[in-house]
Amino acid sequence: MVDFSRVQKELVECNRDKGISGVSITLHGDDLSHLSGTITGPVGTPYEGGTFQIDIRLPDGYPFEPPKMQFLTKVWHPNISSQNGAICLDILKDQWSPALTLKTALLSLQALLSAPEPDDPQDAVVAQQYLREYQTFVGTARYWTETFAKRTTMGTEEKVKRACTWLPSSSSLTQFYLLGRLEINMETKEKTHDILTLNY
Amino acid sequence: MGDFMGSDDEYYSDPDYSDPLENDEEDLQWSTSSVSSSKVITKESLLEAQREDLRRVMDLLKLSEQHARTLLIHHRWDVETVFAVLVEKGKEQLFGEAGVTVVECKSYASPKSSSMVTCDICMDDIPAREVTSMDCGHCFCNTCWTEHFIVKINEGQSRRIRCMAHKCTAICDEEVIRNLVSARDADMAERFERFLLESYIEDNKRVKWCPSVPHCGNAIRVEDDEFCEVECACGLQFCFSCSSEAHSPCSCLMWELWIKKCRDESETVNWITVNTKPCPKCHKPVEKNGGCNLVSCICGQAFCWLCGGATGRDHTWSSISGHSCGRYKEEREKQAERAKRDLYRYMHYHNRYKAHTDSFKLETKLKETIQERISVLESRDSTLKDFSWLTNGLYRLFRSRRVLSYSYPFAFYMFGDDLFKDEMTLEVREIKQNLFEDQQQQLEANVEKLSKFVEEQFDQYPDEKVMEIRMQVINLTVITDKLCKKMYECIENDLLGSLQLATHNIAPYKSKGVERASELPVLRTNCSDSYLQSSSSRSASGGTVELGLSSSGSPNFESGCPSRKRAKREALGAALFDLNLPAEVIDKS
Repeated sequence: MVDFSRVQKELVECNRDKGISGVSITLHGDDLSHLSGTITGPVGTPYEGGTFQIDIRLPDGYPFEPPKMQFLTKVWHPNISSQNGAICLDILKDQWSPALTLKTALLSLQALLSAPEPDDPQDAVVAQQYLREYQTFVGTARYWTETFAKRTTMGTEEKVKRACTWLPSSSSLTQFYLLGRLEINMETKEKTHDILTLNY
Repeated sequence: MGDFMGSDDEYYSDPDYSDPLENDEEDLQWSTSSVSSSKVITKESLLEAQREDLRRVMDLLKLSEQHARTLLIHHRWDVETVFAVLVEKGKEQLFGEAGVTVVECKSYASPKSSSMVTCDICMDDIPAREVTSMDCGHCFCNTCWTEHFIVKINEGQSRRIRCMAHKCTAICDEEVIRNLVSARDADMAERFERFLLESYIEDNKRVKWCPSVPHCGNAIRVEDDEFCEVECACGLQFCFSCSSEAHSPCSCLMWELWIKKCRDESETVNWITVNTKPCPKCHKPVEKNGGCNLVSCICGQAFCWLCGGATGRDHTWSSISGHSCGRYKEEREKQAERAKRDLYRYMHYHNRYKAHTDSFKLETKLKETIQERISVLESRDSTLKDFSWLTNGLYRLFRSRRVLSYSYPFAFYMFGDDLFKDEMTLEVREIKQNLFEDQQQQLEANVEKLSKFVEEQFDQYPDEKVMEIRMQVINLTVITDKLCKKMYECIENDLLGSLQLATHNIAPYKSKGVERASELPVLRTNCSDSYLQSSSSRSASGGTVELGLSSSGSPNFESGCPSRKRAKREALGAALFDLNLPAEVIDKS
C-alpha cells in the first residue's frame, strides 16, 4: 500500500516553495497514486522558458520502491525518449532511496535537463546528434521547447504542422527522420495526452 | 604384460595386501586412501561449511560474523581476495567497497524513551524507542526499516540490503533485519536467512549445487581445482566445472558441442537435404545412385535431378526430352561430398561412443551376475578364498569403459574442424591423431580382453583354470589402468598442451574413479575429537568469535586443519565403497 500520509506531506512540502524551486506537484483527481509534476526549464539551456509536465505514478511499495515518472511534454534530450517521454535516470531505478522524495526526484530531472549524459542515452538518435552535431541539437531542443513546452493558444494541429515544416539546418537524414517521427508521435499523443500537454 | 607385475602396483598384484590404516572390507582397494578434498554440503551443514571462511576473516580483521559475511559476499567468498584487497588497498577501502561500517562504540540513539524523533521516510514523529540506527549512523523508524527490508527481500536482494539513506552504501546489520522482519513476517525472515546462507553456494566459485533431478538438496565444495569430477552423496557423478555428467577426457566445451550434436542429429538431416531431393509426386526423399540426371522414384514418377521438376521418361545421356534447366552441378556435388564425409566421420565416432556407453549401462546386471558366480565359488571347497581381484577387475572395466566412451567425442573434436582447425596444420593433426588413436586402440583392445575374462563362466571351471583367469584379470586390470593414465597424459601433454589459442581443461584421471565428496559433519553437541581442542583454542584467540557456537563443538575441518588426523578418521568412518557406479548399485550394496 502506498504510504498516503507521506505523499500528502510531500505535496504540501513541495508546493510550499514552488516559486523558488521551479518544481511543483498537482493531484490527478482523488487518486493519490497518480500525480503530475511540473518543472520549469533551467535557465541557460535550450529548455529555458519551457514548462514540462511529468506523469507520476506511485507503485504500491512507495516510498520503498521508486516512483514511475515519464515526461508528458515532448522533450528533445539524450536521456529522455523523444517518442514516449521515458526517462533514463539512476535514482528512478536502482539508485532510488526511500529517503528521496518526489520533490528531490523532480529536482533531479531539472538537473538532468541542464546536464545531459549522452553516454548513457535513452534516445540514441538524440544522443548521437548531441555528440556529433551539438549546434543542431541545441536548435532542435530549443525548437521543441518553443513548440511543446510553452503556453500558446495554438491548437495541436497547428503545432504539428509547425514542427513538421521546420527543418534543422544540417543533416538531411536527421530531418527526414524527425519528420517521420513527429507525424507518428503526434497521432498517438493526441489520443492520450493532448489535453495535458498541448492545450492550455 | 608381465612387467606390470610386482611393480609399484602391489596394490593390484597382491590381493591380500591391505593398508593397515584401513579396515578389512572387501572393496578396500577402491576406497579413497586419504579423505577426498571435495565436500558435500547439505542443508544442515551449510552454516558449518561457511564457518571456517567466516572465522578466518573474523579473526584477522577482528570483525563480527555479520561484517565478515558482508565482506565475503562482496568478494564472492574468496578469503584470499579479501586478504589481497586488505594488503593492497587497506582496511578502510576494503570495508568501504563492501559496505561494511564498523563503529567504535555503538551508541544507539536512545535518549529518553519519551522523546519523539522524526523519521525522514514516513515523515512522522515516532517515539525514540521505536527507531533504529544502523552502523552507518542513519536512523529511521522500525516500521519503515521493516518495509524496506521486505521490499528488498522480495526483490531477491537479501544479500546486499543497503541503508535507506540516499547515497549511503552501508549494508544493513543482518541482526536488525532478522529481528525486525521476523516480528512482522516469520516466513519472510526465514527466506532472508536462507538467502543469506545460500550465498555461500551461489556466490562462490568453489561451491556448486548438485545438478541432480529431482534435486537432492546438496551442494558440493571443491578445495582447489574446479576442473574435476565429483560424486555427490546422492550418488550423482558430475563435472564440477560445467555441472553436466562426468565427461572426461572430453573438455566441457567439447562435451557441450557433442551433446548438442547428438541431440539434433544435424548431420543426418544435413545429409538428407544435400543428397536427396523430394519426389515431385509422393514427396519422399530420393537419393541418386548414379546414372544420368533423370531420376525415377519408387512411386514411378520420373524427375530431373537438377531442378527437381517432374519430367517424362524419354531421355538420352545428356538431356531429358522436352526438358531443360540451367545447372550448377559442380558446386552442388562438392557440397554433397563434404556433407557425406562429415556425416560418416560423425557416425564413426558416435557409434563407438554409443557402444561403450551402452555397455556401461549393463554394468549393474553384470555386477550381479559376477556376484552370484563368486558366491558359487565361495561355497565350493577350494583353495581360492579371496575374490577381490574379480571385483577389482570389474570396477576397472567399468571405469575404463567410461574413459573409452568419452574419448571418442574428444577425438571427434580434437581432430575435426570445429575447434582446432586453425591451431594445427593438417600434417601435425595427422601425426597427433595417429598417436592418440594408437593409445586408444591399445586401451580398447585391453578393455575388451578384460571384459572377456571377467565374464567367463568361471564358476563352472576347475580351480586351475580359475587361477589362470585370475592372473589374466589381475594383469589386465593393471594394464588398462596404466593405459588410461597414459592416454590422459598424451591428451594433456601432446595434444592439448601444445595448443596456442584454445584452453581446454580436462578433469584429471583418477584410478579409483570419480572422487566421492565426503560429508561435512553437522554440528554435534558432543564430539570426542582431540581435534576439537585446537579448534576451541583457536577461537579463543580470536576475540570476536562467537564462543557459544565453537565451544559447543564445531570443529574447523578444512584448510585450517594443520594435522591430517581428521582426514584419517574420516577415511575410516566415511564411505569406503568408492565405485564408479550408478546410484542404484551403490544403494544396493
